[in-house]
Amino acid sequence: MSHAKYSVINTHVHNIDGVAKVTGRATYTFDVKLPGMLHGKILRSPHPHAKIINIDTTRAMELPGVKIVVTGKDTLGIKQGIWRRYEELCDEQVLPLEKVRYIGEPVAAVAAITEEIAEAALDLIDVEYEVLPAVYEPLEAIKKEAPTIHEGVERNVNVTRHIEWGDVDEAFEEADYIREDWFKCSGQAHMCMETRAAVSNFTPEGKLTCWASTQSAYYTQGLLAGVLGLREGDVRVLAPYVGGGFGGKFELDAAMFCSAVMSMKLFKPVKVVFTREEDFIASKRRTPMFYYVRTGVKKDGTFCARESRMFSNGGAYTGMGATALYLSGFFHSFPYKWRGYRYDGYRVYTNTLPSTSMRGFGAPQAMFCSEQQIDWICADLGLDPFEVRRKNGHTEGYEVPGQAFIASCGLEQCINEIEKWVKSKGKLPANRGIGISSCGFMSGGIFNWFDSPYSFSSAVVTINVDGTVELHVGCQDIGQGSNTTMAIIAAETLGVKVEDIRVHSGDTAHCPADLGAWGSRQTLMAGNAVKMACEDAKKQLLEFAYAEMGINIVYDLDIKDRWVHIVARPERGMKYEDLVKKALRAKDGQRIMGRGYYTPHRKGMISPAYSYMMQAVDAEIDPETGRIKIHEVMTAHDCGQPINQLGLIGQLEGAASMALGYAYLEDMPMEDGKLMNPNLVDYKVIRAPEMPEAGIIEIDTYEPEGPYGAKEAGEGLTNPTAAALGNAVYHAMGIQMKELPITPERILKALREKKEQEAQK
Amino acid sequence: MEKQVLRFKVNGDEYEVFIHPKTLLVEVIRDHLGLTGTKRGCETVSCGACTVNVNGFSVKSCSVLAIQCQDMEVTTVEGLEQHGKLSPIQRSFLDHGSYQCGFCTPGMLMSATAFLNEAKNPTRDQIKESIEGNICRCTGYNSIVRAIEAVTQGKYKEE
Amino acid sequence: MINDFHYLKPASVKEALAMYAEHDDCKVICGGQSLLIVMRQGMVAPEYLLDIKGLKELNYIRFDEKDGLRIGATTTHREIEKSDVIGKRYPVLVAMEEKLASIQTRNWGTIGGNLAHADPAGDPGPVLIALKAEIKFGSSNGEKTVPLDEFFVDYFETQMEHGDLVLEVHIPTPAPKFGCAYQKFNLLDSEMGIVAAAASVTLNADGTCADARVVLGNAGPTPLRVTKIEDLLKGKKLDDKLFAEAGKIASEEAQPVADIHASEEHRRHVLGVLTKRMLKKAFEQAQKA
Repeated sequence: MSHAKYSVINTHVHNIDGVAKVTGRATYTFDVKLPGMLHGKILRSPHPHAKIINIDTTRAMELPGVKIVVTGKDTLGIKQGIWRRYEELCDEQVLPLEKVRYIGEPVAAVAAITEEIAEAALDLIDVEYEVLPAVYEPLEAIKKEAPTIHEGVERNVNVTRHIEWGDVDEAFEEADYIREDWFKCSGQAHMCMETRAAVSNFTPEGKLTCWASTQSAYYTQGLLAGVLGLREGDVRVLAPYVGGGFGGKFELDAAMFCSAVMSMKLFKPVKVVFTREEDFIASKRRTPMFYYVRTGVKKDGTFCARESRMFSNGGAYTGMGATALYLSGFFHSFPYKWRGYRYDGYRVYTNTLPSTSMRGFGAPQAMFCSEQQIDWICADLGLDPFEVRRKNGHTEGYEVPGQAFIASCGLEQCINEIEKWVKSKGKLPANRGIGISSCGFMSGGIFNWFDSPYSFSSAVVTINVDGTVELHVGCQDIGQGSNTTMAIIAAETLGVKVEDIRVHSGDTAHCPADLGAWGSRQTLMAGNAVKMACEDAKKQLLEFAYAEMGINIVYDLDIKDRWVHIVARPERGMKYEDLVKKALRAKDGQRIMGRGYYTPHRKGMISPAYSYMMQAVDAEIDPETGRIKIHEVMTAHDCGQPINQLGLIGQLEGAASMALGYAYLEDMPMEDGKLMNPNLVDYKVIRAPEMPEAGIIEIDTYEPEGPYGAKEAGEGLTNPTAAALGNAVYHAMGIQMKELPITPERILKALREKKEQEAQK
Repeated sequence: MEKQVLRFKVNGDEYEVFIHPKTLLVEVIRDHLGLTGTKRGCETVSCGACTVNVNGFSVKSCSVLAIQCQDMEVTTVEGLEQHGKLSPIQRSFLDHGSYQCGFCTPGMLMSATAFLNEAKNPTRDQIKESIEGNICRCTGYNSIVRAIEAVTQGKYKEE
Repeated sequence: MINDFHYLKPASVKEALAMYAEHDDCKVICGGQSLLIVMRQGMVAPEYLLDIKGLKELNYIRFDEKDGLRIGATTTHREIEKSDVIGKRYPVLVAMEEKLASIQTRNWGTIGGNLAHADPAGDPGPVLIALKAEIKFGSSNGEKTVPLDEFFVDYFETQMEHGDLVLEVHIPTPAPKFGCAYQKFNLLDSEMGIVAAAASVTLNADGTCADARVVLGNAGPTPLRVTKIEDLLKGKKLDDKLFAEAGKIASEEAQPVADIHASEEHRRHVLGVLTKRMLKKAFEQAQKA
């Protein structure tokens, strides 16, 4: 089935939260204000590694206006982590009791009547540390003599992952040409416009309400309950509008934790909002990775074997780093068929801020290495980069041995489209090049590391007497437009209009559990749950229509555009609103309700479905200063059936802006564990004048596992850009950029080295 | 230190507040007047989420002492809509999907509004420059530029 | 957090100077686009804050064919950017302002405040010095006018003493065959330059160089006027070889400080490139004039 014509799906639908957002009515956790609310501030460690000997809060408590000061001693001291299923990976106390492991780690928190007083109180907390030797780089931390960061963890190796299929050594024997390279990929800050924020309100009934800027209200609920010793059901998490997440906001953070701990002691609402500086230094970041890549190919370009080793800078705690470790290694093989593939990933603790998931989840780093090396191999062997990718690319029906089944794949069409586009550009002027990169990405993960007993996604739909619809979902809209996407799926399935649907989300008291907005899972998983719920409701409704209309047994009924009709004779039917009224009366005044849910079963090791794409970046380099100008980005993209048209364009353009930032602008340099640029002057985020046109060519496929054939769009699109820019630089200047970000200084250095090498010949 | 009386108009309404002179304009707007549409996203006057219009000029309200706005007219995002009727730029934003998380949106709208009031037949580059002071992490800016462009092309003329 | 201060609002320049002289621990605020950041960080915490933003006396742009351009201290960057006469006679000033921070900052921040702040990475300094500007400042004891390149003394430090206010910038009328160009090197267009270079060239009737100026931004504690280059070019017929040589001198004379954005070596190299390019651009402008 190709992109069929739908009433609502893939049409120009306004985002349903649009009016609230453009009129300033949308309220974020940042805006929440409660009567009697106190303001919390966090004291942070100035040392990268130190024992906490003593914390004296007397002076701070004496400051007028201060209501409480808490430390780890005021908590249950539970080591928590989001990989709940694996106790050894639950290694973070948020307010540690014994030692600090990175500069910026919280050690105490204050609640006061004003923000200013709370901040002044921080200076009055006396912490006695015993400074310990620290280590900052994974290749140093893994050495025998390195200081131990977590007791009992040898060589600071936090997690390892091994992925292998085929006979790798034999496959290398078959290769005519082998190339090996080392790469260094940087970290990146999520830099959400809304910093981490939470307001906690604990009341005498023993119940906690927490407004949180979170990507998963359900995760926040579970994690908070776990560390506070409360029942999950006694914790209500509200995620009002959320100002961005990008993978950084589904773990338990200090805003949530400290506000809750203080509120539980005071029985007053407490608000904690990170400053932008805190957000940089003390919320988790994209994982910096060292990659060793060895690839063997035949002289005609057929891929034989790849063997890669990756050392990631895990920082002080696990976070979501364990998943990034695995996914990086898996997508490093994408989107090609390898006869033999081996990946060994090592996540190493260091005394720097912890690294976690960030849009792309390890794949942008993996592609930076893989896709550039492929272009260099093509250059070494005189092969065409498009042809080689086409020759080895995934195809529909392919099974990544023991890992994944590819049920839909538009990769070849993507490659064809970009090849056409690149060729249409003709010969480029000097110092200008176009680089390509293809990739694929998951539509949600199959692993239940959170150890949830609930379906991964659930939905409840209720039809009111006037035909308006209440849709309760647990998926979280963090700006990507999931509320709108679910409303679109619901409207299409039920046969009504988007404006008939009211979406309820972001409230654990009213919405079903859902794993939340990460791993590009919501369109497929929550979408399937919504579709199932609406099909259930529609089936119930239509039972009354069959009775009411008394049609011949060979005919079917359906609803489209609020018109209940015979499918074969659409002019015959009745109004949807009339049917709903009758159905309600027939059910003793009870509203029709439908339930839906989705959990992937037996879908391989990674994901139920994969998106595919190829991206081209057109860039120009100033050969004297090294300055980069991005002229254009073009992506051919297979996300199965697009659902939310405006949302899709937004995801592509937004992903490109973030990925371009990763490629050449954003960096997190550290000195002795201290982040050197924790502000928006020195941390460079792309702005409107630098943002190039980012076009999209949609490829027509249908994913059987997805609702209406849909797959992910939005995270995968962050994956190819750094590699594509690197390839553009390669084709423009003949230099190989093995380190991120691609800066003017690194370009000039590479040019000088190239000149010296050529002079020597 | 002595508080000062600040008398000014916000979104057409007269206000009188009694403030410490060190109070920033954004603090008066959000905390004293309760207009939380205007946001804050940094401490270094970088992000533009706090952008409002003062006497028609776009300014970053985190970087202006409120007291300097004595007798001036401030417009915030809440002032763009008139009794349910959205302004042309707001309607254009809806049509073009020029927002995602929405946190930067009020500031973007105010920069755009000030720009639209003075720009005559601007180029696309000039439109991009008009929002240079506003960071967006979600959209990649191009949908915002398209929305502003559509207004400059007269597609949202007021009836 | 900004400290509490006594707020002073003078109604005239005379009153402002009197108030300023009266209070020792007093800072001046105009647009505050530089001052408020450092006050928020607690680096500056005066007991008194003198607000001169409202002094319309100092808000003006006047051009006279003989006298040149005079800009009052409380004129905003945006007013300079949008000025017709400046656009016609000193287009390099408009071009510089268009890339200075953001529109919001330019709408409220002033030229006087910018120059008083004396950031060697600031855009106006090098351009104005290349235009041979002088600056007038004064206190209740009287006024003084000095060439702008002498005004800046060190990082964030000017010749001014307590009680002095910037009053006016004066730029002479450009000579008939004059050109001036400015470029900063950065990753994002409107950021402060990692380094920057302004160059001006005046040609004799026979096309040789009457005089030239090269002023480097963020290449030392103050905008750096490279007099060696002026000596090199004076009287000569300018060509690419000379521009390259000038670039080399700029590289050597500069005193840039390395930080996370670029090494010292890279800064020197880019300063050389910018100098070469801006001299050429200014030369071509002068030829066409």
